[in-house]
Amino acid sequence: MNSTAQDEITDYVERVRAALADLPEATRAELLEDLPEHLAEIRAEDTVTLTDRLGTPEAYAAELRATAAAFVGGFPDPPKRRFEPLLAARADVMRVLGSADVRVGPLLGYPKASDFLQLLRPAWWVLRGYLAAMALAYFVDGQSTQVGLLPRIGNSTLVALVLLAGCIVVSVAIGRRRFELAGWKRLALYGGTTVLVFFAIGGFFSADSDVRDTGYSDVGYSSGGNPYDYIQDVFVYDNQGRPVPGARLFDQDGQPITIGNAYCTDPDTGEVDHTRSMGYPYCPDAAPFASARPEPTATATPDEATPAPTPTSASPSK
Amino acid sequence: MDTTQLLKGVLDLAVLAALRDGDGYGYDILRRLRAAGLDEVGDASVYGTLRRLFAGGFLNTYVVPSDEGPHRKYYGLNAAGHAELQRSGKVWQGFASTMDDLLRERETA
Repeated sequence: MNSTAQDEITDYVERVRAALADLPEATRAELLEDLPEHLAEIRAEDTVTLTDRLGTPEAYAAELRATAAAFVGGFPDPPKRRFEPLLAARADVMRVLGSADVRVGPLLGYPKASDFLQLLRPAWWVLRGYLAAMALAYFVDGQSTQVGLLPRIGNSTLVALVLLAGCIVVSVAIGRRRFELAGWKRLALYGGTTVLVFFAIGGFFSADSDVRDTGYSDVGYSSGGNPYDYIQDVFVYDNQGRPVPGARLFDQDGQPITIGNAYCTDPDTGEVDHTRSMGYPYCPDAAPFASARPEPTATATPDEATPAPTPTSASPSK
Repeated sequence: MDTTQLLKGVLDLAVLAALRDGDGYGYDILRRLRAAGLDEVGDASVYGTLRRLFAGGFLNTYVVPSDEGPHRKYYGLNAAGHAELQRSGKVWQGFASTMDDLLRERETA
């Protein structure tokens, strides 16, 4: 094939392309895909010009457009007809969205809300890359360790940053070339995106509850969280084993420690009363270890302590 | 009556039928149609129809590299394409025989 023929083909293709300029890029590329090859075939066996053989590029484009567009003939298209209710529902949804698009747009300062959303598209690509990296790290490594904000694999921040950068680059590249994807690749992109969205929603709520729960999970409303949960009262004994009445407890900051239940049950009557003690124990009568009578000068030791339970013995505050 | 108008309605069926005997690339299919007697069929119509049938899921396609010329994109019927050919063929035969009957009645009337 000589260069004049090649020029003629290129020129013809360009004029057909120009005549289809109003079509979406992907559709036009599909329609023009076979054209150079076809023109080369004709040129190889025919000596007349392409226009003599095929008509003007504009006429060719019109014919291409007419036959490729809708189902021209009277033969219904069964695979499409099966989804007709779904397609009708989709058309309804699109209509509602379309009117919402036009109404919400001016509030944002744009003719249509979708004009604004289109500006956010690259931001979505970046976010999608991040989500893909997180999903990848989660499925590779995450079940064993706590998931943070970076896609760590094996607790390595470097790996996380490399993975993050790689996923974002790939996501942006896919975003830029999304019209070139066709068939199963496009379906795979949509499917993957759907999975990522669900993953993101799950991850968001899990992270949200983690952040909120740390506030009181240490205080331990849950059983077993706080080892001092069960404490009702505190009994202080000195090194001689004598109960210390009216003891006060403070933490390292000088804050009084309030613990236990300031109500006592009278063992005889069963009545519940607020304690009259000014410190611990709240209920001196309920001392777990009975001890020697707490005389100021006592030299009693635990060995000499009376084993008999005499609960009324140690109540100086009464 | 203009045959190009009639052709529009049956172009899909014609292209499916041309592929019944084997896969072919665009120009090949065009030649088959012309050889069968459909002289009016336009180049662009065949390519447009192939593209639409492919988009409709009736054809599979693959590229065959060629040493001497451009690479050729071959089209072939898949299962859905064969089913559609059979179904549309029956519709056409029913339609054609109805038209035949109608014309015969008019002739005899």
